[in-house]
Amino acid sequence: MRTHPSGPRQRFVLPTALAMLALCVGQARLQAAEVAAAPFKAPYVPSSDAEPLQEVPSVADPAVRQMRSLRAAQAAAPRDLPAAIRLADAYVDYSRQVGDAHYAGYAEAVIAPWMSEPRTPAVALVTQATILQYRHQFDDARALLDAALRSDPRNGQAWLTLATLDMVQGDYPAAGKDCAQVAGSAGFDWGLACSANLRSYLGQARQSLALLTQAAAASAGAPAGYQAWVQGLIAETAERLGDWPLAEKHHIQALTLLPQDNFLLVAYADFLLDRGRPREVLTLLADHAQSDTAFLRIALAHSLLHSADAPRYTWIMAARFEALTLRGSDYFGREQARFALQLQHDPQTALDMAQRNWQVQRAPWDARVLLEAALAADQPQAAADVLEFLRKTKLEDPVILPLASQLRERLRQFAGGAP
Amino acid sequence: MKRAWLAALLIASTAHAHSASDAYLTLTVGEAAAGGVIHGQWDIALRDLDFVLQLDDDGDGRLTWGEVRRHLADVERYAFAHLRVEAGTRGACTIKPTSRMIDGHADGTYAALFFDVLCPRAAAATLDYDMFFAIDPSHRGIVVIHGGNDVATAVLSPQHRRIDLPR
Repeated sequence: MRTHPSGPRQRFVLPTALAMLALCVGQARLQAAEVAAAPFKAPYVPSSDAEPLQEVPSVADPAVRQMRSLRAAQAAAPRDLPAAIRLADAYVDYSRQVGDAHYAGYAEAVIAPWMSEPRTPAVALVTQATILQYRHQFDDARALLDAALRSDPRNGQAWLTLATLDMVQGDYPAAGKDCAQVAGSAGFDWGLACSANLRSYLGQARQSLALLTQAAAASAGAPAGYQAWVQGLIAETAERLGDWPLAEKHHIQALTLLPQDNFLLVAYADFLLDRGRPREVLTLLADHAQSDTAFLRIALAHSLLHSADAPRYTWIMAARFEALTLRGSDYFGREQARFALQLQHDPQTALDMAQRNWQVQRAPWDARVLLEAALAADQPQAAADVLEFLRKTKLEDPVILPLASQLRERLRQFAGGAP
Repeated sequence: MKRAWLAALLIASTAHAHSASDAYLTLTVGEAAAGGVIHGQWDIALRDLDFVLQLDDDGDGRLTWGEVRRHLADVERYAFAHLRVEAGTRGACTIKPTSRMIDGHADGTYAALFFDVLCPRAAAATLDYDMFFAIDPSHRGIVVIHGGNDVATAVLSPQHRRIDLPR
């Protein structure tokens, strides 16, 4: 334990990951990911002023300059709600884009004065709901959206956020109603994209693809964020249909529109991992190790490549999850289950996490990690809920459905008394 | 602008893992610390400090040791304005910064502030922490206390800013 503040301690070499992690529990202090292999440093004083220590948002990024000017405007008029909402929304958007939760926290602080008012304005409720949704506090987010819609029933953002929430949680009938409300309040094209997205989860991926292609054609001139969103949905739907070349084309188009977007980068990285192309993942995510979701894909790629660095990446990922657990965050079920299964080779832990996660979110990836863990742990009965969900929703997916078939077969063998 | 924001909402749909802001406060109290002095090490993410104090002087998106070093006095002033230790009715304890270094964590590089806490005679002490809460309510101060052979941990949040330190 390094607690005595007497000065730099000797540097020591990275021991085995688990032993080190045991030492570090309670502190989760590790060498930063970016720093080249091996030595694990105690606190130190750099020897040169030129030593780079940390990447931070750069004013060269227009989004950062935009946030700075909104921050200045808000500071000049601290009681001005529209100014606060503009700043908070810019923070949330940036947080999502770069996969950095700090900015969701900054956004929360900006609207906090209105959240503590007895009659919170609907716009503030919706922004706060988005922050909570980002943190996977879905029940709390839903309560705020309901309240916002009671006072402002035609709030398009509230309906769209609710549709998103219902899709993430697998309540597709409710999401269908939300999308209809989106069309009525945010406009036809938004409603169209919302419904098209929904259909890709309901065994109608072909229709979804046709509608999304239509939406994409109509989106020329729309903001890059909207166009990239539609391109990303097309890629996802093409994957659902097993059309890999089409999926890849649209992953790349989405990233051409928003090259730094964490969500799009991670989706493409998953595509590449599934196609057996881990080397490309390392190139794709080289500058994005800060994001935990991106970091997991980097660690998975190293593992698939059997690279010498693989244990180090696994170890750092474990420490990052440990730090998250320490602060009481538990919204990483999907990623943690995948980590436990594929990098720690611990199917039982993976299954436990995947089952807990399934109680909170039910997107296709959540189904997939649970099925993979149930197969690896040879506990097909643990997947019963997911199998029933897939039967009811008719989800198409060339990766998930074969997993489901194997599990059903295993269940039949169990029922027939086979070992 | 409005439309771009709407798009962002939907993209945010699926699960994201993300590092939020943590600071690590390691304290050695009681017998472990000679002479009743509490020794502390406070690790604060350079990313967080850059947001409040704008450390990136040349705006290139990369903090160097030179930039951090030039701001260390500001960093120390800012941090210690948000940490108090009190010894009940006997009044405030004195926090005395001792040294400043750099420390690596899994999610980035941190400033490591070392300090001693001197309390009036032997008295039960309470620690109050409110760094970053006003600008980021999701910030957490993760405290690890070493006392003799025991290790205790606590997580400080806007709802839970105060802990009693064991003697």
